[in-house]
Amino acid sequence: MTIKKFKIFLASNIEKEEKWLTEMSNKGLHLTKYRLMTYYFEEDPNNSYVYQTDFRPEADEDYFQLYRDAGWEYVDDAVNLFHYFRKDNREQGVKKIYSDKESVKESYSRMMRFYITLFLLVLLTQVGLFATWRGLWVQYLSLGIVLPVVILYVFLLFSLRRRVKFYNKKG
Amino acid sequence: MKRAEEFLPLSQATYYILLSLREVRHGYGIIKDVEEISHGEVSMGPGTLYGALGKLEKQSIITKSKEIKGDRRKFYELTFLGKEVLLLEFKRLNSLVDNAKEYIEQLEGENNDNKEV
Repeated sequence: MTIKKFKIFLASNIEKEEKWLTEMSNKGLHLTKYRLMTYYFEEDPNNSYVYQTDFRPEADEDYFQLYRDAGWEYVDDAVNLFHYFRKDNREQGVKKIYSDKESVKESYSRMMRFYITLFLLVLLTQVGLFATWRGLWVQYLSLGIVLPVVILYVFLLFSLRRRVKFYNKKG
Repeated sequence: MKRAEEFLPLSQATYYILLSLREVRHGYGIIKDVEEISHGEVSMGPGTLYGALGKLEKQSIITKSKEIKGDRRKFYELTFLGKEVLLLEFKRLNSLVDNAKEYIEQLEGENNDNKEV
């Protein structure tokens, strides 16, 4: 039986997402598909997996091969940026795809660079709106749409920076 | 290009990756070798390794080796710079241990004396 769950995780919260997916799997609900904030779970009380999420926009064939070799089953991806992997809980060996603090930190740094670029592009597309600002109601409407997006990005970037700093201190 | 000294000190993971590339290996081959030469002390995750390989290749410390027939995996080897970096790091670590040896033995001796009292 497939169970759908709607849930939003920010990129800075992938560790929370991993934890949630692993807990769901402990209860017998295993992620098999992800589409636009919707998680699809298959029910099977006899299994339990550890889930890991990896940010890798430039993933190539060799990347997937390496994870397969290391015993990680590929589940799905979120818009080709985040990749979901799982490993049987009963298996021996490491249950983390990042085995030291340094590489966890680097993964957050990569995320941050990516979202900064995206954020600048978003701002760039809105230059026209501010250059031609005449206080028209349509312009207020556009601003009302753009502003929450900008605020979300700023929030995300600050959260990512916090994660990087956290691992800096620990590492 | 950066000089070999500028890459030191290496992280534990990088040190072991370079050491395992004394022979041509693919990604998973590195993970297995590192586990062996560290006597099970270092179990590297694929995310850590994949990130490190990309970085080391960019720094010209390692390079993709010739493909091996019948295997689609990418194989890696040390460059001349890579070998230099590994040797320098080994010497650095060795001198750290060497310099401390005498004093650490004294400290251990004192500790043992204290225990006996």
